[in-house]
Amino acid sequence: MSGVAFAYSRAADVADAVARGGAPGAAFVAGGTDLLQLWKAGRATPTELIDVYGLGLDGIGVDGDELSIGATARLSDVARHPFVVDQHPLIAEAVLASASGQIRNMATVGGNLLQRTRCPYFRTAGMACNKHRPGSGCGALDGEDRHAALFGAGSSCVATHPSDLAVALVALDATVEVSGARGVRRVGLSELYRLPGERPDVDTTLAAGELITRVLVPRAASIGRLATYVKVRDRASFEFALLSVAAVIRIDAGTIVHARLVCGGVAPAPWRLPAGEALLIGQKPERGVFTVAAAAAVEGAPPLPGNSFKVELLRRALVRTLTTIATGS
Amino acid sequence: MSGERARRIEGALKVTGRAEYAGEVRPDGMLHAALVQAEITCGDVVGIDDSAARHTPGFVDQVSYDDARSLAPSTATALIREPVVHFPGQPVGLTAADTLLAARTAAARVRVDYVERPSVAAIDQALDEAYAPAMAGRIIGASHRGDPAVALTGAHLVVRNRYQTAVNNHHPMEPHVVVCWWEGEQVVVHTSTQAVYGTRAIIAHALAMPADDVRVVCRYLGGGFGCKGQLWWPWMLWTLTASKRTGRPIRLELTRAQMFTLVGRRQETVQDLAVGFDATGRLVAIEHDVLAQTSTHGEYCDTTAEVSRRLYACPNVRTLHRLVRTNEPQPIPMRAPGTAPGTFALESALDEAAEQLGIDPVELRVRNFADHDHDADVPWSSNSLLQCYQVAADRFGWAQRPASATVVDGRWRIGWGMATTCYPAHRQPCRVRVRLQPDGTIVVQCGTQDMGSGTYTVLAQMVADALGVPLSQVTVELGDTLLPEGPFSGGSQVTASMFPAARQATDALRAQLAELGMGHDETLADAVQRIAPDGIEAEGAATANADIDVRCMSFGAIFTEVGVDADLAEIRVRRVTAAFATGRVLNPLLTESQHIGGLIGGIGMTLLEQTVTDRSSGRIIGDNLADYLVPVHADMPEFDIALIDEDDTYLPGGVKGVGMLGTAGIQAAIANAIHHATGTRVRHLPIRIEDLLHELPATTPGALPSMSE
Ligand SMILES: Cc1cc2nc3c(=O)[nH]c(=O)nc-3n(C[C@H](O)[C@H](O)[C@H](O)COP(=O)(O)OP(=O)(O)OC[C@H]3O[C@@H](n4cnc5c(N)ncnc54)[C@H](O)[C@@H]3O)c2cc1C
Ligand code: SF4
Repeated sequence: MSGVAFAYSRAADVADAVARGGAPGAAFVAGGTDLLQLWKAGRATPTELIDVYGLGLDGIGVDGDELSIGATARLSDVARHPFVVDQHPLIAEAVLASASGQIRNMATVGGNLLQRTRCPYFRTAGMACNKHRPGSGCGALDGEDRHAALFGAGSSCVATHPSDLAVALVALDATVEVSGARGVRRVGLSELYRLPGERPDVDTTLAAGELITRVLVPRAASIGRLATYVKVRDRASFEFALLSVAAVIRIDAGTIVHARLVCGGVAPAPWRLPAGEALLIGQKPERGVFTVAAAAAVEGAPPLPGNSFKVELLRRALVRTLTTIATGS
Repeated sequence: MSGERARRIEGALKVTGRAEYAGEVRPDGMLHAALVQAEITCGDVVGIDDSAARHTPGFVDQVSYDDARSLAPSTATALIREPVVHFPGQPVGLTAADTLLAARTAAARVRVDYVERPSVAAIDQALDEAYAPAMAGRIIGASHRGDPAVALTGAHLVVRNRYQTAVNNHHPMEPHVVVCWWEGEQVVVHTSTQAVYGTRAIIAHALAMPADDVRVVCRYLGGGFGCKGQLWWPWMLWTLTASKRTGRPIRLELTRAQMFTLVGRRQETVQDLAVGFDATGRLVAIEHDVLAQTSTHGEYCDTTAEVSRRLYACPNVRTLHRLVRTNEPQPIPMRAPGTAPGTFALESALDEAAEQLGIDPVELRVRNFADHDHDADVPWSSNSLLQCYQVAADRFGWAQRPASATVVDGRWRIGWGMATTCYPAHRQPCRVRVRLQPDGTIVVQCGTQDMGSGTYTVLAQMVADALGVPLSQVTVELGDTLLPEGPFSGGSQVTASMFPAARQATDALRAQLAELGMGHDETLADAVQRIAPDGIEAEGAATANADIDVRCMSFGAIFTEVGVDADLAEIRVRRVTAAFATGRVLNPLLTESQHIGGLIGGIGMTLLEQTVTDRSSGRIIGDNLADYLVPVHADMPEFDIALIDEDDTYLPGGVKGVGMLGTAGIQAAIANAIHHATGTRVRHLPIRIEDLLHELPATTPGALPSMSE
């Protein structure tokens, strides 16, 4: 099994990309590290690839009150950029926990946010999968479900979103800037993703041909902020998250005044845990508080047989993340 | 020189890209091939329609069953002659085209009609059809000595458990590939194989041609681990058939996904093991029953229970292997076949027994040392296992082993574990030719192949040593059936087979020179110029070992330190100390490298590797190297390898195999260390987070130093 032929061209500029990107069978390609894997497995069948790597959308800098990261910035450049390291080390942490050095040298931010699920049924030629072909069935629901979602899944699809970077960015209230046929718009990263529902084949709220041009992170979020990223996996490196947690808290006069708890690898999108966040606000940053908040955060997660351990694992990872922040170690 | 830490003599060629691998051979006019793969799990192929495929621009040919029917029937040709689908993804045809893309596009357009039959997708779906094969690997499948059932009843302690190991795939870095062309009635085949001569024989047989008309070349191999052999032959033969018919060179290379299904796997095992001890810790009985998977078109059984027959002294032993046929791919040997899953069970059980008997795990093994092979009742050719325990334990610091589940380092719970490893020492017939060139340099030739483990280098060392010339004056030629016949690369036997042959060749060369009147203090270069200006050559041969009145095995002891994250149950191997006794060590650097590579494979089998099959369709899912996990650099522990030199006077040359040893024993050593760290016994592989998580108490504030700081 392998991909079939496609036409390839470089986009001249954003307008050209957007004008052509909406055509049936057209797809943007940046680093190609995800798209080409899917093409090889016969799971992505573009007829026309529009290369956006060279569009010059790779700048990283400060834009007013925001940190701006271009959509085609390579992950390796993001992880070592002084602005990122200084102001939002959480982003660098999450990126450095992603993939391998070689892949980060090729992979882009936009491609990372839009990479598709690692559900093995989705990625294996010939398997029934509603995300690949709606109505064909979901192999994971009654089959191998170690990687299945704890939150936000439906009966049509239980896949999870694999990006580490997206988890950190949601914890930092990031937004993305999008160019499309109807101009430029901004959308909160949490609103970029959609749940499977009746259309498990559609991962995002982007319209056909819409191009992500950059990611914007409020700089204010960095003031007095404590944050860290914890990624749990079977091998020490170069593996997608079994699950991950990005936590951000701000402490004022000894009490927590702002909290974001976002987890990865357990839902169709980076998943906020508002019940846990609420229990942190107004409390002292202590382990007892973290334990209570973590327990509340995971309550009601409906597991499948092969992933039920992840409820407890997530609870513990939340405590670990918060404790690490609080102790600074 | 032998015994020296010489680096690989072909290393520079490899790292600079000048070593030409089979897949890099590019004859003019070469076509590319692609496989058409079955979409059903089990059934008959009743029709193949390639009319759409033929319209693909660049399409040249399509071969399938009809085109292979003239090939001689054998296990190597069954799958390409008989239109029966035994497992999902089985090739049902091959397309050839001007480009790879065209070949694959055409393959996707071939329409195949099937009549499906009910399938069995997992061994537990057909347990009632389990049967006992006559052979497990090279040994009889069942064994019985004494009366284990009675002995177990009377035993002071019985440890009785079920152990399970997962399906693994070999995944050498270099995929299987063939580039072949015909020159009249003769065929030249460049292919990635662990057996150039075996491949030649199968081609000659299948195509009913004289072996001399077939040339098989494989100068370098990017690894094999057991999968570059017989299961590749059918698809290679289809390529040869297409090449003959089109009159063009053709290249077929497997994709990574195809390497999950088409070229073999380590079979999964379910092992029921009972070990009985007397009050002093002496083994009184072992019962070891193995259930494993094989395919519906072939039979293969690892020697999983062999370790229970002879590793220790025990008067009452019964072992049995059983197989279940499923519509899954065919298993074949994978590095440390049999001993890897077998030692996992036996050495885990011994650890449990040691704990329950209150005897140190090393001491328990020492007490049960087999001073001869109790199974065949013959002496060992040599067995330095006791020395291995002692050396490795000392270097590891085993005497300081703390009580179970007490040591913490930051977020890690620390545990120590150990286990024994062993592997039979084999030898195959082998011929080596040594030529003294007019300029005094030496050329050595052998039709075996270098898997990447250092065969070029050790053969050069053997000859340089025997003739007293520097290594730089020796050129080695391997991997070509134009060279004298050498052994296949499997079962850790190539070096042991080459050594006596090389010795004979160099002795013969020296004898010739002496006869021609070489002076005592004359150099080879001077002598050859004076008395044999055209150069001279000599051959040597070794025979297979018969192993009738002596048992030849390599042994080792492996100690590990493992960390388990106290909350999150992530498992990391921190330290491995091992001592291995493998007869004469020809090159300590390459030997250590083999052991480390073997141990890494074993770490993968223990903690990561698992080929996942969808239970309803029998298809392998996650068939890529992002989802099939093997250890990466960040997983590497600190390795400390001790080589115990043995003077084995029985073995010609005194050389035993090295490659397999590190890939067994390590599984139990890690599992035992995990138990020491956490108090949890996991009796299946791989051992993962979910196996430990719920047994680890959620830490409370202050319970662990690093968390309360
Ligand atoms: C072995 C392996 C391990 C990995 N491990 C991790 C990991 O641990 N954590 C992790 O987060 N990721 C991991 N990844 C995923 C990797 O980070 C992504 O493949 C990569 O970030 C994708 O970026 P790309 O530029 O190559 O995207 P492409 O493959 O080029 O594109 C991916 C998708 O995004 C679309 N796209 C790309 N750019 C834009 C844009 N600007 N606007 C709109 N659409 C766009 C494409 O059309 C395509 O659908 C791993 C990948 C591999 C191969
Ligand atoms: S979980 Fe979603 S992606 Fe996976 S098989 Fe089911 S439908 Fe496909």
